[in-house]
Amino acid sequence: MTTPAPLAASETPADPGIPGSALAGPFPVGEYAAALRRQLRSFAHVQLVGELVNLRAARARVYFELRDGTGAISCAVWQRDWDQILARAGGAAGGGVPVNGMQVVIAGGCDFYPGSATSSPSFSFSVTDLRVAGEGDLLARIDRLRKALDAEGLLELQRRLPLPLLPRTIGVITGESGKARDDILAALHRRGWAGRLVWGFAPVQDRHAAPAIVRALGDLAAVGEVEVAIVARGGGSLADLLCFCDETLCRTVALLGVPVIASVGHHTDRTLLDDVAAVSCSTPTHAAEAAVGIDCRRARAEATAAAARLRDHGRRAIQPRASLPVAASRLRDHGRRAVLARARMLATLSRAPADHLARQRTRLHQQLREARAGSRRRLAGEHALTQRRALVLQRKVQSSLLDCLRRHPNELNQLALTLAAHDPQRTLERGYALVQSPSGEPISTAARARETADLRLRFADDTVPARVLP
Amino acid sequence: MTESQSMTYETAAARVEEIIRRLDSGEASLDETLALVQEGKTLIELCAGELESVGAALEELRLDELVARLEDETP
Repeated sequence: MTTPAPLAASETPADPGIPGSALAGPFPVGEYAAALRRQLRSFAHVQLVGELVNLRAARARVYFELRDGTGAISCAVWQRDWDQILARAGGAAGGGVPVNGMQVVIAGGCDFYPGSATSSPSFSFSVTDLRVAGEGDLLARIDRLRKALDAEGLLELQRRLPLPLLPRTIGVITGESGKARDDILAALHRRGWAGRLVWGFAPVQDRHAAPAIVRALGDLAAVGEVEVAIVARGGGSLADLLCFCDETLCRTVALLGVPVIASVGHHTDRTLLDDVAAVSCSTPTHAAEAAVGIDCRRARAEATAAAARLRDHGRRAIQPRASLPVAASRLRDHGRRAVLARARMLATLSRAPADHLARQRTRLHQQLREARAGSRRRLAGEHALTQRRALVLQRKVQSSLLDCLRRHPNELNQLALTLAAHDPQRTLERGYALVQSPSGEPISTAARARETADLRLRFADDTVPARVLP
Repeated sequence: MTESQSMTYETAAARVEEIIRRLDSGEASLDETLALVQEGKTLIELCAGELESVGAALEELRLDELVARLEDETP
């Protein structure tokens, strides 16, 4: 490459450079990078055709690679241009939204980011337009193979193998220097698993990978004691993972008698190995956790607890025999209490007649007291009633007398006069005298007077003795 | 080989859980209880043995070395 034109015309640099070197410079790298960008941007803008892989979006730009069988180039599209491309691709005239594996035609030119003291430089083909040319041969070929394996039933064979919960020996095929190895060891340690681990190191990228992995899988199966195998590698572009879509590898795994756990790439990438394996995991850590299905430390604690529970059940089952004497004693106590209760009941029944008589006597006394009290109350009532009646009668008599006196005063006077007229005293007062015997008997005849001899003569004012003369 | 010896860890662990559920239900007779307790103890010993075999110390082997050793041992 020739020196960028602006630098060739610049003044001679202050630093003398490498002694003896015939090359121009040294130039400050920033100036050189800027000149390089100008030079690259001056290249003619063109159209390129190839397979779109490793498509990823950043904040301001979308990046991908354009590949074919002989080479590749990094590409970048400003987000604004990418949105326009997507809008066109989604329209009626578009060939579909561009995704990984598609054959595309891009338009643009070379560009260079010169970097800085704190950022790295990068080359990219600055894409201004893109057209989908059709589905990429790579993905189409993989899809055809997947369908063929499925038609042969090879996608199901591994899933029918029983996956042991607690394998004693695990085989792992991965890159010897890859991070997947450390991730698997750490995950197994967290599980508390410390069994036998057989490492089958193999390349996990490039054309040598698939045959080496096939050979390692065969060796693991031949060892015999391996109960589960893990095939693992970290993430990568689809092209990096192409070796895991190898037909021979996939057929080998499908027919293997040992369950295989695949952990290839990230969860967004899916290879044919993921389809034929017994279990497909997104990371080596998950693959290790799938290989050892339990937390061994917790399982040990649970086994201890289960043993204790079984001991308790066994002890409780035998306990009734040991407690028979106690039960007999309790039965005797129950019997004794029952007899005492019966005796108390009989004693109560024997006292019942006397209690009954006493209750009757008390009741009769009570009734007698109540009758007496009732009689007294009745007599008092009648007495009061009689008194009230007597008082009423007295008042009535008085009232009648008064009324009579008021109504018949003349009749009384007449009667009084009549009575007075018959009074002998009135006759004596008129000059008459009454002859009486000494005993006071009236002597009304002369014969009787002669017989009596001693007489008494009663005048109005006094009585004087008298003698009948012969 | 007895039945318990042919059992895997997961089969034995599942049977122990089943036994404990049966015992916890209180429906087992005395004879059944004693038989289940004995069976459970045997299975727990099996599980404990399996856990013990993967709990002592991690043993790491290289597949190529293991294959070479096996090939050497093969007559």
